[in-house]
Amino acid sequence: MDFGFDEQQQEVRALARRILSEQVDARRLAAYDEYRQPRFDAALWQQLCGAGLVGVAAAQRHGGMGLGFTELALLVEEVGRSIAPLPVIAHCTAALAIQQFAADSLQEALLPAANTGKLLLSAALAEPRNEDPARPLAVRAQRDGDALVLSGSKRAVAFAAEADRILLAARVGDDVALVALDPRAPGVALSALQTTSFEPQCDIQLERVRVPAADVVCPSRGEDAMNWLAQRVTAAICAHQLGAADCAMRMAASYTSERRQFGVPVATFQAVGHRMADCYIDIECLRLTTYQAVSLLDSQQCALTEVQIAKIWAGDTGHRVSYATQHVHGGTGIDRDYPLWRYCLWLRHNEMTLGCSAAQVAALGQRLAVGEGLFS
Amino acid sequence: MNIQFSKEQLVLRDELRAYFAELMTPELSAECERDMGEGGGPLWREALYQMGRDGWIGVGWPESWGGRGLSPLEQFIFVEEVMRAGYPFPFLTTESVGPVLAEHGNAWIRAELVPKILRGELLIAIGYSEPGAGTDLASLRTSAVRDGDDWVINGQKMWTSLAHFCDYTWLAVRTDPDAPKKHRGISMFLVPHSDPGWSCTPVHTLGGVRTNATYYDNVRVSQDHLVGELNGGWKLITGQLNRERLSLINFGPVSQLFNQVTRWARTTELPAGGKVVDQPWVQQNLARCRALIECMKLIVYKQSWAMTVGQLEMADASAAKVYGSESFIEIYRMLGEVVGQAGLLRAGPGQPCPEAGRIERLYRTASIITFGGGANEIQRDIISAAGLWMPRASR
Ligand SMILES: Cc1cc2nc3c(=O)[nH]c(=O)nc-3n(C[C@H](O)[C@H](O)[C@H](O)COP(=O)(O)OP(=O)(O)OC[C@H]3O[C@@H](n4cnc5c(N)ncnc54)[C@H](O)[C@@H]3O)c2cc1C
Repeated sequence: MDFGFDEQQQEVRALARRILSEQVDARRLAAYDEYRQPRFDAALWQQLCGAGLVGVAAAQRHGGMGLGFTELALLVEEVGRSIAPLPVIAHCTAALAIQQFAADSLQEALLPAANTGKLLLSAALAEPRNEDPARPLAVRAQRDGDALVLSGSKRAVAFAAEADRILLAARVGDDVALVALDPRAPGVALSALQTTSFEPQCDIQLERVRVPAADVVCPSRGEDAMNWLAQRVTAAICAHQLGAADCAMRMAASYTSERRQFGVPVATFQAVGHRMADCYIDIECLRLTTYQAVSLLDSQQCALTEVQIAKIWAGDTGHRVSYATQHVHGGTGIDRDYPLWRYCLWLRHNEMTLGCSAAQVAALGQRLAVGEGLFS
Repeated sequence: MNIQFSKEQLVLRDELRAYFAELMTPELSAECERDMGEGGGPLWREALYQMGRDGWIGVGWPESWGGRGLSPLEQFIFVEEVMRAGYPFPFLTTESVGPVLAEHGNAWIRAELVPKILRGELLIAIGYSEPGAGTDLASLRTSAVRDGDDWVINGQKMWTSLAHFCDYTWLAVRTDPDAPKKHRGISMFLVPHSDPGWSCTPVHTLGGVRTNATYYDNVRVSQDHLVGELNGGWKLITGQLNRERLSLINFGPVSQLFNQVTRWARTTELPAGGKVVDQPWVQQNLARCRALIECMKLIVYKQSWAMTVGQLEMADASAAKVYGSESFIEIYRMLGEVVGQAGLLRAGPGQPCPEAGRIERLYRTASIITFGGGANEIQRDIISAAGLWMPRASR
């Protein structure tokens, strides 16, 4: 039993925090408000690659640091704390899935370049009205020799326009195939979306897109790989939520300690202090459930129950912290010249992405109903 | 980061589970049930002696205190298992006052009383609250006045739980009425219930739990019975309350109740067809409880780990107390909804579901720890001040 982080993990966190706090601030984030440009800081991305952080969990044979998913989660938490305009979750989790499931030749083609920042990865996890990443319904594929020909649509793919390869699952008869799609291949059409968080996302339309055998990650049983990936993306979103919520809470704590009304700091009103104490408890719950899930995934253990529970907390905590911190700031909380509002966008983004609390509660409840997920 | 018990700890847990399966005879279980989960009966006492003889009571205490020298994590595993077995363990004596006595008691206390605690032979009640002093404990008025080599104690305490079968009360009294700050004039005594000036009357509560009003009419004790420094009692009180706060939140019994209710819902047929658990709202209640209890587990594990490595944070201990006490109430409500009408029936004849009978009692007792052990408002004050460095109004 150890709730602490070892020296190496603390170093990863400190390095990430140092770079991100130097390179991200409200002024720079403002450059992406209202879709003025795609919310992707390419120079900072290269810096993070150069520092080895993008490949923190990638194997050394591909130029990664060879550390674990815990280290990646610590990085993601810092990205959440700074709400940096970076594709860390999309790229790093997709890279891990390729490392876990793709043939050596495809790994060698993609991963060394991915870890040095020459190649960007993402994954298509949703379809219209279908949020189960492992059960593609809207994209179908036909086999053409060892190649696959894909048609259909995926929804809200993060960094699709910036990515060089997108992990994408397709139905092949009763089976599921997983490919590393080149979004610039003939027959792929991207349409940009205006998301609430300003994250660059696109819908993808596929018209008889030919994916060569070399780019097929799993010709068959791709749902296992997608489930594996989805759990890691979900856990990473929880870590991002943790960083963002913690930052919003601390912003509110300092603001209310300075702001005076009735001749005293508003923090001294018990109702205000207690609302912040509730944020503190919620965030502690999110932290504990997230790092439990992360540490199980890190050691390749089954973590479905723990990931579902962490995402329930990510949804509930995000929602409550967002409105509590806005409220105790008064008007300042929603003033676009003050940094809190962007955090509220991300708390909402993370809450609703890959299964909101209600959906996770329903999924966990169904598993409990068949005898899974009880206490040992 | 590794949130799992070691192999040795899992072996210890299994050993304890088997130990309690044997210790908890049907007769003992029935006696505990009759005593409203408080203990105090003859079989209950015999079982406590047994645990003492078998060296369990101080499993995580340092050897210098007479314990077995394992860590607070092992002590925690022991307490979880004893509670899970349904034995009303006198944890206030063993987990919260006991360690304070072992650490701060004089030679007589350490030589005579502490070993008895570890043998299960000595039980101690806590005498802080008074009719006029609850959350504002430092305003207490029961007094001790020096008389030659002795101290003479007068006053009244309220809510002195378990006093009717304990041997001593860990009593907070005012020894300096003129202290510039009211916290500074308080001392701690161990008062034997054998003194003719001590008496007690019952107070019955919603949950069926008996507590007491206790009276101190010229109770006379020797200097040996003073614990710690004269007028230095406040530090001991807060130290004890920190420990008490941790032992109030057990996840063992509630996780077991959850498993039982889930199993019941999976196996119980609805008259119109299907099982109780097939109803979406039942699944939702169960999932919500599962998520709450998981977090409770992690919080209490983290507390025990933090105590083991000496990093217990004040804000986290308060967060554990608030979260635990308020989650219990939510969980009992949601599990009560699942068992439905049976949750309105007392355990016993006519109650078809033993878990529902337990829920019927639990919902009546659940409020105690939101205001007891330091009201949750005080805990939230501590969290915003110690965890978020927010200034707070002076009191
Ligand atoms: C079953 C039971 C067993 C008990 N066992 C023991 C025991 O063994 N030994 C012992 O000494 N005591 C015991 N107690 C007493 C318990 O510790 C007190 O009930 C508790 O300290 C609260 O005090 P009070 O009941 O006087 O409530 P009050 O102090 O009157 O408080 C009532 C409410 O006022 C509010 N409040 C008070 N102060 C503040 C503040 N500063 N800020 C915001 N809100 C505030 C809170 O909502 C609080 O719950 C027991 C009580 C019960 C019911």
